[in-house]
Amino acid sequence: MTLLVAHQLVKRFGALLATDHVSFAVNAGEIHALIGPNGAGKSTLVNLISGLLPADGGTLSLDGVDLTHLAPHRRVAAGLSRCFQVTSIFPKQTVGENLLLAVQAHAGSSFRFAKPRETDHDLLAAAQALAERVTLAGEWGRVAGTLPHGAQRKLDVALAIAAAPKLLLLDEPMAGMGPVESAEMVELIQRLRQDMAILLIEHDMDAVFQLADRISVLVYGKVLTCGTAAEIQADPQVQAVYLGTETDLLGLAA
Amino acid sequence: MNSKASPWAARAGIAVLVLALALVPLLAPLFDLDYYTGFVRRLMIVALAAASLNFLMGRVGLVALGHAGFVGVGAYAVAALAEAGWTSAWAVWGLAGVAGVVVAGLTGAVALRTKGVYFIMITLAFAQMLFYLAVSLRKYGGDDGYTLYAPLHLIGGENAIAASGAPLYWVVLALVALVLLALWRIEASHFGRALEGIRDNETRMQAMGYPTYLLKLCAFAAAGGVASLSGALIATQNGFISPSLMHWTQSALLIVMVVIGGVGRRWGAPLGVAVWLVFEEVLKQFTEYWHAPMGLLLIAVVFLAPKGLSALASRKAAP
Repeated sequence: MTLLVAHQLVKRFGALLATDHVSFAVNAGEIHALIGPNGAGKSTLVNLISGLLPADGGTLSLDGVDLTHLAPHRRVAAGLSRCFQVTSIFPKQTVGENLLLAVQAHAGSSFRFAKPRETDHDLLAAAQALAERVTLAGEWGRVAGTLPHGAQRKLDVALAIAAAPKLLLLDEPMAGMGPVESAEMVELIQRLRQDMAILLIEHDMDAVFQLADRISVLVYGKVLTCGTAAEIQADPQVQAVYLGTETDLLGLAA
Repeated sequence: MNSKASPWAARAGIAVLVLALALVPLLAPLFDLDYYTGFVRRLMIVALAAASLNFLMGRVGLVALGHAGFVGVGAYAVAALAEAGWTSAWAVWGLAGVAGVVVAGLTGAVALRTKGVYFIMITLAFAQMLFYLAVSLRKYGGDDGYTLYAPLHLIGGENAIAASGAPLYWVVLALVALVLLALWRIEASHFGRALEGIRDNETRMQAMGYPTYLLKLCAFAAAGGVASLSGALIATQNGFISPSLMHWTQSALLIVMVVIGGVGRRWGAPLGVAVWLVFEEVLKQFTEYWHAPMGLLLIAVVFLAPKGLSALASRKAAP
């Protein structure tokens, strides 16, 4: 069953066609990796899907709901959450406060003015459960900005999954991580996939081949090809891209 | 033990302060210091406007350079309603507050589509529009301002109590205390926490599903309402309004007061207002050129109390 359908998405920055009529689909329950060399337009595509950038053309739908013209926070309500390539948390607040803020977005209204939030015990329980889920329960009282990099990345993931999304966008979750932290993140993603589909943007090819059910390759804003890990590894076009002969490839792909 | 004791200590401190302020109109005449009743009353009214601005600056991260515009809306609303024959201070102040919410809601709906310097400029632009609108109102004296002849009353009927003197002082004290307590309570609420998140990382808040624009608009309109109430109280106390109330330097002055007192700090607004007005009062007794020593004082405050300023700077530097 297809979950996310992107159809002919276009994004221009002046004369640059950053996203060039991109069409692809993510199935329910799958980990779909999006790979491509630097400047291929991966981050732009993530911003188009999450709604932080408006698309100049094309359509986007999630589970039958048209997302194309929805504001970012409405896309979250429709079941689409994201993480950021550059860790995006609330560094001056504690881990607990970060998580409370994340669960608060979905537990009733934020237009409540009278009672202190600390009296909301349901919210606290939900935030603590979330901390357990990403193995950060032991860091509850710590100021988020003082966590090691890997733990901050986990917190970023936690902020995204608080919404119980149908599809999670992970923008380079392993960026800047050592092997131990990377392995932990792979483990976390394996656990998350039981509850949601994941669109994974990642440079770490070991992680990609380990995790992804299908892989789409993005080059110069276009989807070059899409297939299973084995198909992608055997694809001569993809090999050409990663060996750095993109100029030739442009002619082939056009 | 400590965690239980400290809020009670804070509450006791607040109670003592409110009590001390409440005694001012009773004690001042004994020492021939009647003038200072009016002075403290003015200080409290300005603190109300500054507190609403500090809420925007400190809790939401919105540096609005048009807050005096809303103060003016409240003052002119009092003039318009008094002119129309309204005499109950409560009704007039209430409607003035509503007028502030409406004007702030409308201007905020546009201004909040911008960020940073553009937000500062657009709030300034709206305040300037309100200023020149007031200047052009011939009915209310244009540039020269307008004297309110019909006084408002706190209680009507036979034993009427006019909205002036000590009764007005106590009402102002009660209103300021109530609004400050409400603002503090809101800070800790779901709404306040969401605003704090927007201040620190708005993009993340959007990506977590918060309607950030709506939340900010709500805070902006509420702050405009409080500023407008402050303007209504100023008009009532002075019995006079003029466009100078909403001159852009008044907006800037409110920001300076908040920065002196401490952006985002509970006592930031009242403290900043008190420091500014007291020094102004003292310096004026020595020299007519009181701006120069005030400038030096400001520099001293910046160096001696850099924490408030550094908090402001880091917030501005945040993307």
